[in-house]
Amino acid sequence: MENKQIIGLLVHNHPGVLLRVTSLISRRGFNIDSLTVSPAGLDGYSRMTIRINGDDSKVEQFISQMLKIVDVKRAEVLPEDDSVASELILIKIGTDGHDNNEIIEVTAKYHASLVNIGEHSMTFRASGTPHEIDTLVSELEKYGILEMARTGIAALENGDKKLSN
Amino acid sequence: MKLNGSEIIAECLLEQGVDTVFGYPGGAVLNIYDALYKYSDKITHILSSHEQGAAHAADGYARTTGKCGVVIATSGPGATNLVTGIATAYMDSVPVVAITGNVTNDLLARDSFQEVDICGISMPITKHNFIVKDVNDLANVIRKAFRIAMSGRKGPVLIDIPKDVTGAICEYEPVKPAAIVNPTVSEKADFEEAAKIIAGSKRPMIYMGGGVVSADAENEVLAFAEKVDCPVATSIMGLGGFPASHRLFMGTIGMHGGYETGKATDNCDLIITVGARFSDRVAGDREKFGKNAKIVQLDIDKAEINKNVKIDSYILGDLKSTLKILTDIVEKADHSDWIAQVNEWGENSGVSETPKSDNYAHPYHVIEAVRALTKDSDIIVTDVGQHQMWVSQKYRFEEPRTWCTSGGLGTMGYGLGAAVGSAVAHPEKRVVLFTGDGSFHMNLNELATVCSYNLNIKVIVMNNTVLGMVRQWQKLFYGRRFSQTDPHRKTDFAKLAEAFGIKGMRIHNDEDAESVLREAFSTNDPVVIDCRISPDENVLPMIPPGKTVDELITEME
Repeated sequence: MENKQIIGLLVHNHPGVLLRVTSLISRRGFNIDSLTVSPAGLDGYSRMTIRINGDDSKVEQFISQMLKIVDVKRAEVLPEDDSVASELILIKIGTDGHDNNEIIEVTAKYHASLVNIGEHSMTFRASGTPHEIDTLVSELEKYGILEMARTGIAALENGDKKLSN
Repeated sequence: MKLNGSEIIAECLLEQGVDTVFGYPGGAVLNIYDALYKYSDKITHILSSHEQGAAHAADGYARTTGKCGVVIATSGPGATNLVTGIATAYMDSVPVVAITGNVTNDLLARDSFQEVDICGISMPITKHNFIVKDVNDLANVIRKAFRIAMSGRKGPVLIDIPKDVTGAICEYEPVKPAAIVNPTVSEKADFEEAAKIIAGSKRPMIYMGGGVVSADAENEVLAFAEKVDCPVATSIMGLGGFPASHRLFMGTIGMHGGYETGKATDNCDLIITVGARFSDRVAGDREKFGKNAKIVQLDIDKAEINKNVKIDSYILGDLKSTLKILTDIVEKADHSDWIAQVNEWGENSGVSETPKSDNYAHPYHVIEAVRALTKDSDIIVTDVGQHQMWVSQKYRFEEPRTWCTSGGLGTMGYGLGAAVGSAVAHPEKRVVLFTGDGSFHMNLNELATVCSYNLNIKVIVMNNTVLGMVRQWQKLFYGRRFSQTDPHRKTDFAKLAEAFGIKGMRIHNDEDAESVLREAFSTNDPVVIDCRISPDENVLPMIPPGKTVDELITEME
């Protein structure tokens, strides 16, 4: 089944490790739509969260390939129904010709905060699951999105499980 | 004790049991070469004509010894000249440690003279690579590099060292390397599942590859094949891993494999894949490969499972251990009817062995004549192209690590360097390089190396004056439009050899082949033999790319 799956990577915090991971993704032809890197809360390690498109065998192959990188210590699927996944968005909406209150009402449904007001625009900040963010973006499309930036996905498995276990 | 970085390199090589390295000096490795001068009683350095030749030599050394090859080159062009050699080793899982110099730390990232980001360049063709910016890290990086190269699925590792690091001084303490043990990953249940599938098979076959040779598992695969009583096909890389004289040996599998291996692949009900990776040259049509069969795979690399062909059951771990465990639990079987059927297919290859005219020798005849003069332990090296396929079809390999060929990358120009490495590693053996006029033209500069070290290498140039393999594809798939495959070269390889200080000879046709070869093989000196082959000889049979044995070509003009 073709779907999107989130994979968590625990990697040694060495120079070039991001290049090793992305270079492998590119040369093995994997299709990713989100990649984030951050400290892992574990000395000497960083955490990467990658969302890839592909069926289960593609994901299995992705993980096997990632584990061949010497600096990758763990690579595991974070199952959608058993993980929390979030991302943050900053989105700038054009206000000319629109009712500002209407825009604020829409964004309020997503608990987005108004973080900046320009002469012809408003900028909101929201966080939520990737799906919630996607829905927010599509709802705001009709007002005219001037620009936006998303952080990409961060995800952790539910319960006490850890990648480093 | 306090040593400089270059002495630390030499000491760490000695820790790893390295006594031979290949390379070429230059500005950024002057310190390293100064240390090699000091350590010349313990480490032999073989100087090549070109860094590519040195890289192939380290590869040939590694393939024929099972040890890790070592190559040293300077920064910039020295490093980039290694790239083809490293990629060749990577594709065939050959352990090589490449050490490159780089400009000093304060000149890095300034486009300095002979500066190149070899770590960036070599990332996709190495298992791992390092740049060592601090001499205090150097010893441990070298130890780690050897460990990575030699453990799990083997492969090349590159260490880039700025020049100031090779001159800086720090404390060095020798460390004895720990033994490398590759764990058996699969559990009892996995073995039992595989054994059950094998027990249920009436027409099993083994498809084995270079992994068997790499794991030194030739005895284990033999015991397994005999107990299961099933025919064995090898990939090009697997040759030598199973004795060709054995009753169960079928030959190579794939594009230019035998008719019987193709028929067996299509008609068997089980393919037991051992240390092989279903490359496109074996499984031309991934969907139809072994279409009537279940597939059980044994490998050390999890990423090879379900990569190209969907498999039914797998066992992960070092082949020497996993084969032994599996052999212990499989039932002793008798598949004589099935083997008889395979042998019957084998008698009908339908491929002609007569030369195209009296003015030429037939490649099969030359290969058989060479085989008659060589011992089982002698080493055969090839370049890439028609001659390589003819040798893989016809030469009867009995022992592992007697065969060097660029199977995965298909590197024309690989052969002479690899022959140098093999001959340096095995002064007691004879090394025969089969090459073609196309491949040989690429890196024949290493004849200078062959002469300098007076290596016992017999070079047989299968000279058909054309780029035969590409030309064969032009005949088959491009309406005989011979674009750039007939270079009209007048190179006289016998005279060329003389110019390098090596004896040159000629084989004109099948008549004089034996006598010329006998004379060439009567000395321990190098000889180059210009052997005339018809430009119209083809490599047959042939499964066209992306197809199965159903579309086998056995005849062509």
